[in-house]
Amino acid sequence: MNKLRVADLDLLLGYKYPTMQKQAAAYLCDFEKPNITVNIPDEEIARLAAENPHLTQNDIEYIFTGAAFYEALLNFGGFMLHSSGVCVDGYAYLFSADPGTGKSTHTALWQKYLGEDRAIIINDDKPAIRIADGITYVYGTPWSGKTDKNLNMRVPLGAIVFLERSKRNFIKRISVREAIPLLMKQTFRPTEKKEMCLLLDVLDKVLAETPLYRLGCDMSREAVELSYNTIKIIK
Amino acid sequence: MKIKDGYLLRTVAGSNIVVPIGEGAIDFSGVITLNEVGAFLWRVLEDGADKAALLKKLTDEYEVDDATASADIDAFIARLQEASLLDD
Repeated sequence: MNKLRVADLDLLLGYKYPTMQKQAAAYLCDFEKPNITVNIPDEEIARLAAENPHLTQNDIEYIFTGAAFYEALLNFGGFMLHSSGVCVDGYAYLFSADPGTGKSTHTALWQKYLGEDRAIIINDDKPAIRIADGITYVYGTPWSGKTDKNLNMRVPLGAIVFLERSKRNFIKRISVREAIPLLMKQTFRPTEKKEMCLLLDVLDKVLAETPLYRLGCDMSREAVELSYNTIKIIK
Repeated sequence: MKIKDGYLLRTVAGSNIVVPIGEGAIDFSGVITLNEVGAFLWRVLEDGADKAALLKKLTDEYEVDDATASADIDAFIARLQEASLLDD
């Protein structure tokens, strides 16, 4: 078992395959007693690998330890949003969409046009969002989907943007009521009542104070200028 | 009429939403959003009520005439039936 600190939580995490070893390296940290323990027994990994023949045991370990961590995170006022998170000038902006829509492409364009030293990717696929000391933070975690783009840091959440492809670039502020169905599609959705209540409790706080948008965009510089100029928060 | 088991109504940042939990969550992964009156009727229907009881509760709670309230209730029930959310 390995000791990590993720989203300001002490995590005892069992792993042995290369992807998890590489992804976890930046999060290793010593502590006495864990907040969360995640360990998937060998036989469970083997069973899941048999159920998912397109995945290796290495992939299974990476995917299911992430799912277990994010489920446990609900108990600590946090949740995962399937999104690419880019940080600029002290705020993190999350672009959320179904796989293959272009959320990573859009944040990569932010880096291209704003500069890679100014726009940094905190987590390219599954950032954690957690309230700490009354502030809603985005955290980098070892689980960042197919890429290794994640950073062990936390940054206050600036906005959540639901992204879709469009030939005409547009962005509009949306209501909580409009955002919730979109958001529920992009998180690990609990089936048990207790965990669902925990998720809705966090969302109640986070969504009340976070600007929410819908963005339709192509891959142009204009798309980046539109989204950046609309959602940026100036300190 | 009664709302089927396995649905949770909560207010999240001022919005009334219904999500399935338990076995229902496997068949239906959507979210239902309700306005204030819809949420009120949903809560009454969680305990079970017939049309007359719904009408009485709604007109007691809100300043609305019987005809309008009755039409609102019919529309709401039709929506619930369409989504198979009611036990008869």
